[in-house]
Amino acid sequence: MKNLPKILIIAAGVGAFGYGVGVFFNMSPPIMAGAMAGLTLLYGFLLTKQHRAPKEKGFFKNVMTKIPGVAVIAVILWFGSGHYGFPIWWQIKFVSFSVVGMIVFIILDLKTMRVEKGASDAIVRLIVTYAFPSILFITITAQLPQFNPEHELAKLNKKPVTTFVPGPEAIAAGREIFESNKCFNCHKVFWEGNSDRGPNLGTKQIGLYSVDYIKEQILDPRKKQSPGFEDKKSKKAMPTYYGEDLNEAELLSLVSYLKTMRDPTHMPVEGKFPNQWTWWDDKQILEEGKLVFEGKEPATEGLNCAVCHGADGIPMMTGAFDFRKPDNPDTDKMADHMDVTLKDFPDELYYRRVTRGVDNTPMAPWGSIFPHLYLWKAEAYARTFHDPLDKRTEKKPVPPIPTKEEIERWKKDGLFLDPLL
Amino acid sequence: MPSSNVSEQKPLSFKLILLALMVYGLVHLSPAIPWVSPSSFLGSLGPQTVLAEEEDEEDEEDDEDEEEDGEGDGGEEAEGEEGAEGEEAAEEDENAYLYDIGPAADIRPMPEIKDGGGYKFPGLGNRKATWGAAQLHILFASFILGCPMFVVIMEVMGARRTQGVRKAVILANVFMGVLTGVIIGIIGEIIVDIHHGVLYGLWACAFAALIISFLNYFHVCMNTKMSSIVGGVVGTFFAYLLVPIDHTTIPAILLAFVNGAVGGFLSTAIMFAEADYKFERLAHEITKVIGFCYSFTALTGGLFLFIMMVAYKDFISYLVTAYPILFMIGYPTLFILETIVLYIYVYSWEPLNKTNRKGRHIVLGVVLNILGLSLLCALDGPATFMQTPPKPYDALFTTMTEWDRIATMTWMPLNYHRLVGNGTFGGFMVGVISAYMYLWSKDPKEKEYYDWVGYMGNFIGVLFMIPLPAMGYIFVREIYQYDATIGMYIMSDRESMFMLVQGLLIATMFTASNVYMWVSMKRIENAHRFFPAMKLGFVLIIIAATIWFTPRRFFATMLPEPGMNPDMVLPDNLAFLALMVSKNTAAFALVTVTLINYIFYTISTRTGKIGWGKINPLGPYILIFMGFTDIWLMSWMGTIRELSRMNWHIYKVFKDVTPEKFAPTLAESGVFVTGVVWTFFIVMTAIIWLGIKYPKTKKAKAGETPAAAPQMAE
Repeated sequence: MKNLPKILIIAAGVGAFGYGVGVFFNMSPPIMAGAMAGLTLLYGFLLTKQHRAPKEKGFFKNVMTKIPGVAVIAVILWFGSGHYGFPIWWQIKFVSFSVVGMIVFIILDLKTMRVEKGASDAIVRLIVTYAFPSILFITITAQLPQFNPEHELAKLNKKPVTTFVPGPEAIAAGREIFESNKCFNCHKVFWEGNSDRGPNLGTKQIGLYSVDYIKEQILDPRKKQSPGFEDKKSKKAMPTYYGEDLNEAELLSLVSYLKTMRDPTHMPVEGKFPNQWTWWDDKQILEEGKLVFEGKEPATEGLNCAVCHGADGIPMMTGAFDFRKPDNPDTDKMADHMDVTLKDFPDELYYRRVTRGVDNTPMAPWGSIFPHLYLWKAEAYARTFHDPLDKRTEKKPVPPIPTKEEIERWKKDGLFLDPLL
Repeated sequence: MPSSNVSEQKPLSFKLILLALMVYGLVHLSPAIPWVSPSSFLGSLGPQTVLAEEEDEEDEEDDEDEEEDGEGDGGEEAEGEEGAEGEEAAEEDENAYLYDIGPAADIRPMPEIKDGGGYKFPGLGNRKATWGAAQLHILFASFILGCPMFVVIMEVMGARRTQGVRKAVILANVFMGVLTGVIIGIIGEIIVDIHHGVLYGLWACAFAALIISFLNYFHVCMNTKMSSIVGGVVGTFFAYLLVPIDHTTIPAILLAFVNGAVGGFLSTAIMFAEADYKFERLAHEITKVIGFCYSFTALTGGLFLFIMMVAYKDFISYLVTAYPILFMIGYPTLFILETIVLYIYVYSWEPLNKTNRKGRHIVLGVVLNILGLSLLCALDGPATFMQTPPKPYDALFTTMTEWDRIATMTWMPLNYHRLVGNGTFGGFMVGVISAYMYLWSKDPKEKEYYDWVGYMGNFIGVLFMIPLPAMGYIFVREIYQYDATIGMYIMSDRESMFMLVQGLLIATMFTASNVYMWVSMKRIENAHRFFPAMKLGFVLIIIAATIWFTPRRFFATMLPEPGMNPDMVLPDNLAFLALMVSKNTAAFALVTVTLINYIFYTISTRTGKIGWGKINPLGPYILIFMGFTDIWLMSWMGTIRELSRMNWHIYKVFKDVTPEKFAPTLAESGVFVTGVVWTFFIVMTAIIWLGIKYPKTKKAKAGETPAAAPQMAE
């Protein structure tokens, strides 16, 4: 214990270094500092305690002494990883590595190997030395997930897209272009895809935007960053060469596919996972929505919600929905009436009422006239009459990502009012 | 003695004839291809025709494409003989008779074939035949590039510091300074994000080494502390002068100072190192093996070229015409010079030792390394051109020069990566040689010696392996900047499982290296005091390996293809485990634990008695295991790099239209790479036996001393 002060000083120094590393690389400085200081202390303790010469054991004795410990670790890893949501392959992997660890420790504690008795001994050992890694590497490469080259060949042998005719074929071609250019690597499309380096184009509902805007985002991606992706790394993430790589027909096909990315049941979502938000709570969107609501948005010329609902929320027309009253019920003039009041309106209901209108009232099906992008913005603004942004104590939760089945239902139920192309 | 000299002359002349034939073939093949005659078979292999043929094959409907201008280098017209437009042009050309080679123009020497469409290599197929030949060639080439680095270091360490040797050490130190500077500089560039970190490192370390070595030669600045300080200042000064930057940053100055200090320190340490004859003997023995490997490099290079000429004739012709000066002048010149210098180096060892000219031999060794590295850099040009051809593509053969086509975006990163990779290769191959010789030796003194050689091989291998991930990182970073699609194909698409295997192999290498240290320490007195701490290190290694082996998803493509399980994806909240930040932390842990264990090992060797020759018999097998794994890993990474071009011979410039244009599966690649590595090791085993063991046995029977003749006194 006489070395304790020295060890503590070194551990503190290493901890400070770890903190600096954490700050520099933006990797949780306190955790880095704690981990490095803790490990240093552990090393210090192990180096200063009294040691006996290591006890070497034969192979079987070695295995028998280590199995109980490894079994406990494996069980903890199995259930622990399951508890934290790791899929089964990862659970198997963790347990496998505990076995690998056991093998390493068996080798460490193994009795000194006997010297070769003759050339044949050495030859056998040499063959085993070469065979062991060979079998190991062949087994690993054979057991890991494989792909079927036939699928790649089929893609490679496909005729390139040279003409563009709007329709399902163009959408399918666009999807293939999206895949072959590895867009899924950074962009999720609802549940599909690999990471959140870029926005989830499904929940962001890129399909709401104009063709020109989407094209610009592909060809000149650094001109305007998606909200929440303004950091230095994200700004440089999207490649700028797609303009050179894609011909016009390919670009239009890709845009056609992107235009299908819509969600008629939820407000668009912005931001980088896990720091995301919906348009309901987006100050910028609410300002833009105000322009639409008050008939000042050039893109929706002819649409003026304030004429009936009032620029300050006080309805100007008898029967117009009053957005100031959170307990206002849903209209009973529609067959799809929902038994909810305004404060609990699901996104889907807002969207339906605005895009499809209300039968036998001046509320027209605006969705068949104006781009839905602006209608969502106007809806987000309308909510502020009974729920002002500056009075909100918490944001609306980001909705769960729709499943494949839900998307199929939207199409089947005709929830998209305008054609997707 | 005379008899042994005669026996050594035979293989030399045989090898020289063989190499001369190779060089003759290379020199006469490359330049001849596009210029023989526009209408001849070889003339039809020019780029214009190649592209036109490709267009014909791929899209018969695009008739207008056939008329587009070719991309002939240097303005020459390589007209296609099968195009109707070629006939019209010939009729119009008044000077056509000057190029008419007679009936041979109409009688084709070979059936008209497209790449891979005609002949198929028996048993393997064209791709695997090329793949195997290329990898074997690279492996032998790495040996003859990696081992001379090791040998020169060892030779300098083993040479007594005569006046001549000290002069030579000045040059050797500068060479060492360049290598060290590049390595430290890259680490600074990557980890601390210092712009031009490599250049700061290189200039600072090299100039510090040069100046301090000179001062030391004249007995000024004699101690390491002073040398480090002076080296730091001098190095910073020169780096500041030579690095092309707008403004200097404090981290850059610090990096330059550190590099200068390292250069100064190492120069002094090397200049005044106490000579140990073991190093001299080690260097000499390895050199004998290098000679054999050089022949195999040439043989496999020839094999590779010949296979390419049949299997991918259009492509190889295109590639050759992209580098007329390199393939006509640069490559043959370097190749010939390296051959000459190598054989002089190998066969002048003993004569120069005996005549007290060790310094000259060391200079030869440095020159050999410079030539080898130049050759490596020269051929990295076409290799990286295939992966990242400079943009815009339509200017490739118009405004761009041959140098532009060599100095691609990934050229320097690949040079760095291969340079350090070859260093690792050299270290681990020395480990393999030592293991074999340990097993084949009966004399306890020999066993002691080869036990020590294994220690040195492992030391150098691990030393170079530590910065290797940084070199790989900078290479892939450039690939991402060039075209992120390639990067994504490697990291998260069809090669993602290949990369997972890479992680496992690196973890295996580090684990094996640490196990070797553990086993070695068992023969050192009192070393067991470090064992509990080392066991903690092993726990960390296993955890780091587990993290490295954590993929984002367990299917082999970016999106699940038919037959794959789409649910095998990590949930978003756990995805961080599969990101680079986690992998980098794991790599950092592996490197740090290995360094700590190495420090324990070094302390043990200095404070306890080492039982050389009494290593646990497991030790030599671990060295072989590490060598095998390292070379398997190297072949695997080569496979990954080549496959990352997808269905392109030259990415987005020259498409692979052969039936084998798809990526082979992980399982198929695993078996094939294992086959290649086995072939290499079988040949290497024979070479080690022929190069070291057999002459030793012969000399022992003749009653001579097995070791090389020591350096003469002044």
